[in-house]
Order: sequence, then structure tokens, then C-alpha cells
Amino acid sequence: MLDVLTIPFMQNAIIGGILLAVLLSVLSIFINIKNWSFINVGISHATFGGLALGVYLGVSPISLGLAFAITTGFFIGYISKKGNIHEDISIGILFSISMALGVIFLTLTPNYTSDLFTFLFGNILTITKQDIYLLVIFSIFTFGYLYFFFQKILFCCYNEEVAYTSGINTNFYYYSLITIIAVATVLAVKLVGVILASAMIILPAATTSQMFWHYKKIIITAVLLSIIIVFAGIFVSYQYNLPSGATIVFIYGIVFFITIFVKNIIQVIQHGSS
Amino acid sequence: MKILEVKDLTVKLDNKTILENINFEVKKGEILAIVGPNGGGKTTLLKTILGFIKPYRGKVEILGLPPKKAVKTGKIGYLPQKNNTPKKFPVSVLDVVMFGLVNSKLSKNEKLQKALEYLDYVGMKDFKDRPFSDLSGGQQQRVSIARVLVAEPEIIFLDEPSTGIDVVAQESFYEFLKKLRDQKNITVVMVTHDVGAVAKYVDKVAGLNRYLHFYGSPKDFFKKDILSKLYGADIELIVHSEECVTCEHFRFKTEDKTC
Repeated sequence: MLDVLTIPFMQNAIIGGILLAVLLSVLSIFINIKNWSFINVGISHATFGGLALGVYLGVSPISLGLAFAITTGFFIGYISKKGNIHEDISIGILFSISMALGVIFLTLTPNYTSDLFTFLFGNILTITKQDIYLLVIFSIFTFGYLYFFFQKILFCCYNEEVAYTSGINTNFYYYSLITIIAVATVLAVKLVGVILASAMIILPAATTSQMFWHYKKIIITAVLLSIIIVFAGIFVSYQYNLPSGATIVFIYGIVFFITIFVKNIIQVIQHGSS
Repeated sequence: MKILEVKDLTVKLDNKTILENINFEVKKGEILAIVGPNGGGKTTLLKTILGFIKPYRGKVEILGLPPKKAVKTGKIGYLPQKNNTPKKFPVSVLDVVMFGLVNSKLSKNEKLQKALEYLDYVGMKDFKDRPFSDLSGGQQQRVSIARVLVAEPEIIFLDEPSTGIDVVAQESFYEFLKKLRDQKNITVVMVTHDVGAVAKYVDKVAGLNRYLHFYGSPKDFFKKDILSKLYGADIELIVHSEECVTCEHFRFKTEDKTC
């Protein structure tokens, strides 16, 4: 079974998958404490319009996907701050339009054949060396940003008004965090596709926050769990010839429900004995 | 020394006038209570003072600066009405107090010592490693006060600080504010519907219902014409009084009626 490690595209898949797992599971804590799951779903789906436009125009799909994701993230952030329209409604409208545009662009593209499925559901086996370099650079940037500003961002998540009156530039941290999450989501599209990218950034901390209450433990276990799940997903998908992205997300989902089930059992036992 | 100045302030929200022509000053070390009926503009006034709402007319100065500049000095503390912190926020009690020191230049160890000192000051040191979200409303309030104080502000703003706290805890909370002012000379501006607390613990009262109907000492506040102007009805207001020591509970006294 370990012979798969000698296949070059599998090596790229494993390295890229693990890098993504670490990056997304660290960011996952913010998605969970800010209840940004739907924002993230909106961003990942909006990416599709950009990717398709890139294919139609013959320019880098990822660049346009990034532009769409960041613009959507900013727009959602702006609307949710202003509070004129409920953010769920604006997200629903935005990502529907972007998905519709994506389908139109791809239909208009001459000789277009197979990328639609890859965009929607990803293919980890198409991760290239270039993708890995991009991931490494972006991860270094993100972890540097978090190293210096983590406490201030956490304070903003705790209570934005209070953080503002304590002299913190809350707008800077709000929009920079949304931008980082948007970029990370686009990078995850390559692994699991537009439909499943948000799962990779929602599920890690959602699962480990069932086990621990403190953010440090939640993050550390989310990183470890994600590495194991991505590793397992790649092997299972290779072994049984299944789509890699869907397999990874499915394992995440199973682990999440097992965690909730075990937590409930433990609580019942503890209440029973007390 | 003047620490807060509100001058000719008018605030409109969605074209509706919420506050009109408000003028007052707060001196260093004073405790001010802003009282009035629901919808009278108390929280709007506090949010305008802090720079969350832009005035339609007039100006606000805290520490001689406009609000947006004043907050950057780090000398302002704020305790909002509702704790908008997401449920099950994954931090400990100590983490919350450490938030008050995010802009501090102290070393990590010095910050820790200072946070513990203020947790001790509010009587919550033993809870330092507990999840913040597991605490009762009153305990969270104490920790939040420690978070505000650890930054050593010159003025603190409290919006309905007694919400969600039982009567006994409210009493000790107001006692605590008084102690704070006496020991650290901190200026306190609080919005409260708890008019009963006003008489006993504050230096100044601002009676607000769109206009500032009253600004002065608490003993002059409980006059019938002021109260009916403020609350819009011929009401009988009830005031906690230290004189009522024989009563089983805090009883109330108006101009016409004592217990």
C-alpha cells in the first residue's frame, strides 16, 4: 500500500493535501466562533463564476476565482456590517448569480469538455508543484499574520465594539481575515472543488470544539485530525478508485457525527453517575 | 477637570430625531447615571459618545479629543449592555482579562501578573482557568470589569450594567463602582433603567427622554415635576434609601411617601 508514496502525482497530492489541511483547520476556529459557515459557503460558490470566466477568456481561472472570492468576501462583510440587508439573503443572492454566470461562461466556451466536474468537486491528483509552492507561500504569510495579530483578532471576535473602544482597528482585522479565508477557500477548490471547499474549513474546529472548550486545544487537535483525515481520504480514494475530495469530506462528516455521538454518550454516563 | 463634554448634540436615526440639543459635562472622578424611559435615547447617547453613531449636529469630546481619536488612546473602557460574545466562546476567564492588555507594551509575564491582580480585585482569581462562557451573568460582569480596568482607563462607560444580575449582586456591583472611583479616581458614565440605584451611588444624574430634562445631583432628581416630564406620566418613583435600614427589603421613598 505504501508504494503509492513513490508515485510523483500522489506525492504532490499528499503534500498539498496536508498543507491545506493545516491551513484550513487553523482558520476553521474563526469560521466557527464567528458563525461564518454560510459566508464561507457563499465565498466558495462565488469562486465558480470567476473560474468559469477564466476558462472562457483563456486566462488563469485561479486568478479570476480569487478575484471573485475576495470581492464576494468584502461585499458580504460590508453588507453584514451595515446591516441593511440580512447577510444570509445577500450571500444567497450573490453566490446564485456567480454560479449562474459560471454555467453561462462554460456553456459559451468553445470545445469545453471536462473541467466543470473538476471545478465542482475537485481532483487532488491534479495538484501540481506550482500549487504546492503557492500553498507554502500563502501558509507562511497566514501563519505570520496570525502569529502577530491572533490575540487582537480573537478580541474582535469576542466583541467587536469592545475591541474598537480599546483602540483596535477592527475594520482592518475584519476585512483582512475575510480576505485570508477567501484565498484559502479558493486554494481548497483544487482539492475538493467549489461545492465541498467550505466543508474543509468548517468541519475541523466544529468537530474538535465538541471535545475541548479552549481555543488552543481546539486548534491543535483540529490540525492533527485534519492531517489524519486528508491522509486517510487520499489512501481510501486511491485504493477504491473513489473521488478524492468527496472521500475526504465524507470522512470529515463521519468523524464529526461520531464525535457528537460519543460526547452525548459520555454526558449521559456522567449525569447517570452524578 | 473636564473629562467628557457633550455640546449641542442632536442625533437622528433613519431621519427620526432620537436626541435633541443635549449639553452636559462630566468632571474627572465623577459617577454619572444616564436614566430615562425605554426608547428615550440612553443607549444612543452612549453609542454617539463612543463614536459608533455619527451626530447629526453638535460635538462630543472625551479627554479633549473627538471619539474616534479618543478610543485610540486606550484610556477608555466600555462595558456594553448585552454581552454580544458568541455562545460557548472558547476562552478562559484569564484570556478575557488579557484582552484588556492586547495593546500593552508589557512583557508576557508582566501582563499575566497584572491580569491576575485585577481578577483578584474583582474577586474572580479562583476562576481564572474556567471557561468564560460557563460563568453566571454576575460573574461574567465582574470579569468584564477586570478586563476594562486592567487597561487602566481614565473613564469607563457602562450600558445597563445591572442587566442579568440579581438584586444582591446589583447592590455589590454599585458598591464596587463607588470603591473604584474612590480608590482609582476613575470617571464612570453608566446608562441604567435602575433609577433606584441612582440616589445611593452616583454623583450626577442625567434624565434623558429625547431632551436632557435634568442634569444635576440625585437629591434634586426625585422631584415630581422632573419625573413626570421625564417619564411622561404622573408617576410615583421609588428610591432605594439608606435610611430604611429597618425594612426587610430595600424600601422606597418619594417626596410624598416614605416607608
